[in-house]
Amino acid sequence: MTLSETKQDTDRERRGAAVPLLELKDLRTYFYSEEGVARAVDGVSYTLLEGETLGVVGESGCGKSVTALSVMQLIPIPPGKIVDGEILFRGKNLLELTGAEMRKIRGNEIAMIFQEPMTALNPVYTVGNQIIETVMLHQGLSKLAARDRAIEMLSKVGIPSPESRVDDYPHQLSGGMRQRVMIAMAMSCGPSLLIADEPSTALDVTIQAQILNLIAELQEDTGMSVLLITHDLAVIAETADHVAVMYAGKVVEYAGTPELFERPRHPYTIGLFRSLPDLAAPGQRLPTIPGVVPSAFHFPSGCRFRTRCSIATDLCARSEPPLAKVADSTDVHTVACHHLAEAQTL
Amino acid sequence: MSNRNGSPLIEVEGLKKYFPIHKGLFSRHVGDVRAVDGVSFRVGRRETLSLVGESGCGKTTTGRVLLRLLEPTAGRAVYRPDPGSAPVELFELSQREMRPYRRDLQIIFQDPYASLNPRITVGNTIGEPLKVHGIAKGSALQDQVEDLLLKVGLRPEIANRYPHEFSGGQRQRIGIARALALRPKLIVCDEAVSALDVSIQAQVINLLKDLQEEFGISYIFIAHDLSVVKYISDHVAVMYLGRIVEQGTTRQIFEDPRHPYTQALLSAIPKPDPKERRRHIPLEGDVPSPIHPPSGCHFHTRCPVVEDRCRVEFPATHDLGDGHTAACHLLGQQA
Repeated sequence: MTLSETKQDTDRERRGAAVPLLELKDLRTYFYSEEGVARAVDGVSYTLLEGETLGVVGESGCGKSVTALSVMQLIPIPPGKIVDGEILFRGKNLLELTGAEMRKIRGNEIAMIFQEPMTALNPVYTVGNQIIETVMLHQGLSKLAARDRAIEMLSKVGIPSPESRVDDYPHQLSGGMRQRVMIAMAMSCGPSLLIADEPSTALDVTIQAQILNLIAELQEDTGMSVLLITHDLAVIAETADHVAVMYAGKVVEYAGTPELFERPRHPYTIGLFRSLPDLAAPGQRLPTIPGVVPSAFHFPSGCRFRTRCSIATDLCARSEPPLAKVADSTDVHTVACHHLAEAQTL
Repeated sequence: MSNRNGSPLIEVEGLKKYFPIHKGLFSRHVGDVRAVDGVSFRVGRRETLSLVGESGCGKTTTGRVLLRLLEPTAGRAVYRPDPGSAPVELFELSQREMRPYRRDLQIIFQDPYASLNPRITVGNTIGEPLKVHGIAKGSALQDQVEDLLLKVGLRPEIANRYPHEFSGGQRQRIGIARALALRPKLIVCDEAVSALDVSIQAQVINLLKDLQEEFGISYIFIAHDLSVVKYISDHVAVMYLGRIVEQGTTRQIFEDPRHPYTQALLSAIPKPDPKERRRHIPLEGDVPSPIHPPSGCHFHTRCPVVEDRCRVEFPATHDLGDGHTAACHLLGQQA
């Protein structure tokens, strides 16, 4: 058996067996303030498979970023607290680890990149130093070897003349270059999971395309999984294998990307797609979702979307719909709605 | 679109805005940031012209200079309040002479959090322009403010509340009500919907369209989100490093882009359709600095079809028919 055959075999195995890398089970992260309790993440469950990209999409305040920060355990405590649930990474519950054990995983096995690279990078250290620090800490390399690794990583993420750029400070780089540096830093320890929180939102569209291509290439090379958090359905369409749609601290729909875009089931997802100007004919009014996202301090009873939903009934106010498998789907499509049949007529 | 041949509301010619760079002990003038470097366009009545381009292309500066929030370095802007009225040279007016025209020319900003004074109630924010221009006071003022709030889809009772009590979408509606108060002829929308969530963005776009219908407003819509631009505009001008590289109707720009930059920009937009998933042909590198823009065609450093003369010669603007123009050497060859 040749090497490439072995690789193909393991690829097939990975896809066939669909090994979960990260599983969230009923995760709840609350923030306690004088105003009350903000239930930012309130019972989120989803699974990310080895080697795949899971897109998490939703509007501001739906809890998509807090979910990711909870995985990294970067929630400020207080006011925040992970009050319930499990975060299984390779079957191990991260919430049961000690601080020291978690530090070995954070930045090493799970790395994260953020929306605003300027605030994520330390302005008083050269970009090289920031990568060197990471590799020395996690991989135990000497300073010289770590510097070589930093240069190698910078060149891998497409930074021109990395030998000199390694000594630049963040302010000397453009926004796109800074995001490349963030990615280089995240990739420097060979993580098996990259969490990308709106990685291209602050960038111009041509630079966004560069960054998304770069992440896809790195994923192909290393086989890592990507948890991509974004508000942009088009970015999801181009990059994700599966999608979780979040609303008001909960996952309301989960499906394979082609299936979700072909046939969204939840009234919220349907409304989101309709309000995209891409799909509207010029001159035609954009269909909108009325009202605004409810505050995390006062979620409505029952289904949280019912206050903006055109097919809501008394049942929706009384009981919260569970995330259940869609009966007529061959996919792993799940959706949380009492009135699926009616939603199809929307 | 219908008014393309009638007298336009505003005609801008050769607009330039340089920001001087001073250095050293005596603040020696060592160079300029050429934010806007000779742009010309016209805005028709009841029409939306979008200025698009990447950060630093000068689209925001263009909007601000036009309203004299910044002073132009060169160029002229001819404003005709009504089709028959005498032309007004906006850039030749003193700030005092400019004041009456400010009623007609308004702006909405990107950040609904930064553009409202947190210590002034919503009602006063919206009523302020009416007071300043002596249009209404007392109970008449209150009535008008309530009217405006209703127009933008807010409840009139909120007039006594403060901006922090509102969401981003609601604040943007307040900003629109303020811009609308003086019944303007033109509103510059500077990334007015960029900071909003998809479902809220759609609400605000619909509102802008409705108001255009009702009051016959023209918009200069400054944006980087091309899917919104495609939906809302009649005409589009694509800017790169302070210059307009291509200009035409929305259909011309989106269906038949001729400048390599426009083509690259359009190809970079992700599509919300997983079946169309493809690797983009991304532009290499970043936008160069406007302090030392590249010689010749500004785009030559990133252009996939660059030729020798692009590096030295500034391309002329070619007329491609029906008002569609583009500044590229290659288009001259085809003709």
